[in-house]
Amino acid sequence: MKRLAAIVALATFATATACGTTGTTEAAQTAGGGVYTTIDGSKQINASAPINPFNPVGSVFAGYNGMALAWPKNDPVDPNRFYPGLADSWTTTPDQSEVVIHLQPDARWSDGKPVTSEDVRVSIGLAYTQGGTAYALDPRAAGAAADIQVVDAKTIKITQGANRSGMFLSNLLSTVVVPAHVFGGLLPSDFWQTLKVAQDGAGPAAETAKAEITGLAEKVIAFTPERDVSAGPFVLERVNPGAALLKRNPYFYDSAAIVPDKVKVLNYTGNEQIWNYLIAGKLDNAPFTSVPSAVMERIRAAGGSKVIKGYSPVATSMAFNQSHKPYDNVHVRRALAYLIDRAQVTKIASPEGGTPAVTTSGIHAKAARAWLDGGFDRLDPYRVDAAKAEAELRAAGMTKRNGRWALPGGKPWKVRIHVPASFSDWVAAAKSISSQLGDHGIDATVVTAADYTLYLGELADGKYDVAFWLIGLGPSPYNIFQRLYGQANGWQMFGGRLSHVPPGTQGNWMGGPETVEAGADGTVNPGELTSRLSYTGPEERKRIVGVLARLTNEQLPVIQLWDYVNTQFANTSRYTAFPPDDHDALRLSSGVWMQLGMIKKRQV
Amino acid sequence: MSIMINAQEAAGLQSAPGGPPGVTRATLRRNFWRGVWRVLRRKPSRMLGVVIVAGFAVMGVAGPLLYPEHLPRDDEALYAPPSLRHPFGTDFEGTDVLALVVTGARYVLLTGLATAVITVALGTLIGLFAGFRRGRWDTVLMRITDVNLAIPGLPLLLVLSTVWKFESPLEMGLVLGLLGWGGVARAVRSQTLSLRERGFIEAARGLGLPTTHIIGRELLPSMAPYIAMNMLIAVTGAVYAQVGLFFLGVLPFESNNWGVMLNLAVFNGGALTTPAALPYLMAPLLAILLLTLGIVLIVDAMDEIFNPRLREE
Repeated sequence: MKRLAAIVALATFATATACGTTGTTEAAQTAGGGVYTTIDGSKQINASAPINPFNPVGSVFAGYNGMALAWPKNDPVDPNRFYPGLADSWTTTPDQSEVVIHLQPDARWSDGKPVTSEDVRVSIGLAYTQGGTAYALDPRAAGAAADIQVVDAKTIKITQGANRSGMFLSNLLSTVVVPAHVFGGLLPSDFWQTLKVAQDGAGPAAETAKAEITGLAEKVIAFTPERDVSAGPFVLERVNPGAALLKRNPYFYDSAAIVPDKVKVLNYTGNEQIWNYLIAGKLDNAPFTSVPSAVMERIRAAGGSKVIKGYSPVATSMAFNQSHKPYDNVHVRRALAYLIDRAQVTKIASPEGGTPAVTTSGIHAKAARAWLDGGFDRLDPYRVDAAKAEAELRAAGMTKRNGRWALPGGKPWKVRIHVPASFSDWVAAAKSISSQLGDHGIDATVVTAADYTLYLGELADGKYDVAFWLIGLGPSPYNIFQRLYGQANGWQMFGGRLSHVPPGTQGNWMGGPETVEAGADGTVNPGELTSRLSYTGPEERKRIVGVLARLTNEQLPVIQLWDYVNTQFANTSRYTAFPPDDHDALRLSSGVWMQLGMIKKRQV
Repeated sequence: MSIMINAQEAAGLQSAPGGPPGVTRATLRRNFWRGVWRVLRRKPSRMLGVVIVAGFAVMGVAGPLLYPEHLPRDDEALYAPPSLRHPFGTDFEGTDVLALVVTGARYVLLTGLATAVITVALGTLIGLFAGFRRGRWDTVLMRITDVNLAIPGLPLLLVLSTVWKFESPLEMGLVLGLLGWGGVARAVRSQTLSLRERGFIEAARGLGLPTTHIIGRELLPSMAPYIAMNMLIAVTGAVYAQVGLFFLGVLPFESNNWGVMLNLAVFNGGALTTPAALPYLMAPLLAILLLTLGIVLIVDAMDEIFNPRLREE
């Protein structure tokens, strides 16, 4: 469960996007003092890890001593909303072909040196060594930065490559900024020329240049600065296996907004440890953590305990491999949808962290209502209906013998539901589904994979008939439908060209058809529609989302089970002014909350 | 007053000289079982051990027959506390925990049994052969044994579980048995090296009896008690190993598997944090504890049965 929570948090964070609005940070009075204790939900403490944000376990904590250009807002539909970070403001052309970023005028590193455009440029250079959407070396890749131009010490202009993407701005603003005077030496003196050759050149020279840049990746990840040089509100003081301690950065550009003197990020090895911290009232804030109902009661009973709930653009689904019989038949998928009581599944598996899916649309219900308006209520809710399920199964040619459903040829039918063993909420959900199907004469069993990596590998290899799958990773509609009509279902974007590969190859494990007859919408290619979501205008985007949601509802490549709820924990014994329920900063760290002027010392 | 028989006689495999072999064996066998009964009666705890192990055996054989194929669930009673209806409460689905423990016993016991049989059969065979033949055979077999002992069982099983689903208890037992025979082989070899220098073996050799007779009729019966005790102890080892693997979540999911129950109680129910799921955690733990206790008590009895010196004390 712990790992699932982390994956959900990372996945949604990675897909969050932004828009070019100028933000102002509300100054807050400094009541001062105290140690703010929290957890980093995305990673565990590693005392021997370098203070390096490019290292996955590095002792850099987002919002505290790790600073991005901007912080994504938790908006259900608009992927272009951000809070300012090191970028004070930004402007962009309507097609996002050009973005100009203005840095915070007073931003300084913790050693007193100013944060400049050169820092951003070096950070972007280092990001190229790691790859990624905005920093892809292939000039044909959608949404890749093509040119970085330092306008002045506090202004930088970035131009998007010819293959445009609506995700460019958001990917750009998510860039983590590191000090050029510490990390700059990692880039060879001819790095920018090499990058130019890699991006614009052709043939062996370009390939050599690409290899040269990606060859720097390990060196960048392994780089160990002697001390932390942070532009965030805090700077790392020390780290041990149990916790990381950060002290205030006196040079932070909005130091007046920051109340705590220090921040202690506690380590944890499992959810149980976080539960115990919360019950003991040790944590001022803990990010999304899966919690059983009984444990939640104890946490609520702790002095000063406060549970904050908000929108989390992620849903859990049960996905089908449509290249495996009988799941190629839509009637079978619909029958299963009519037999699964999603409320019961959610009650058993994720009572505190999820709400039963209203229907299957591929989108979290909150975002779906916003995208589809009244269209959401017209989708088939697939309420539990054994009679409809029986009719669907008979339509699929299934037969019932001695109370058990069998395949059209009379062979026994066994539904094998695959889940990773480490996600106990998914395991419980799969067991609940298998029990419910058993009640209706369908032999079902749960099969666990030892490890999530193994699970994803076997899934991609097409070894599973039915498996749990995260969907609705918004707010970008492109990211939402990529989970259903992207690489996992055979559509691949390569060199700006979309192609569909056969089931069982190149990670196509969902095995859906390339085109589908979608009633009033005619014959549609869902992968092609999804790819258009990345660059098309707002009106067309809304129309496509409607078509894909209806198609998903009718064809059921997955059965949406529950929509996640971002359940956060706070303790108001020492600090107050936490963001309220449904606040759009709720999925950001406490460090960002502090930057936004939240978190005040409790007045005795 | 105690029964004075040696280990070979106790096993009922040794013909007494000077009389019809069948009659003598029957008498010895009768005496043996009388001795067993007396040893058990001497300490009630040993009787308890027999009752516990017998109870588990019955549970393994008949347990699943006592319940429907799909255990009933109660959506309104998730993690229900213990009651007359549910002595150990209910699980995350509202299923009776006792029913899960009872129906789950078969897999656990079958695995334990398969492991024990393979461990003891392989260990005894290799140990006997190495100890009796000595020389190059001994060297080769003991190096193989060293390798077996050096294999880190749990990490290997964790790796194996990624490619092997262990859906049958016999598969699980086979792997655990193949990993666990080293200790028995080494001990049996030591015993064989010691026994082969004893007078009765020397006499058997002097009489020109074939090797198979010496090993099967002279050596093996002398070690039977030790082997039998090892077999029982191997059952407990196998139970711990497989429950541990299921607890870690690396083996296939079966809601009534004791290790899976422990895993879900801790990670899904928060049993170590709140009392709500504690009965769900305690039930399989209690089952493992009881099974181990029963086996330990029987081993205690066996020790006295096969060791005349203990009986005299």
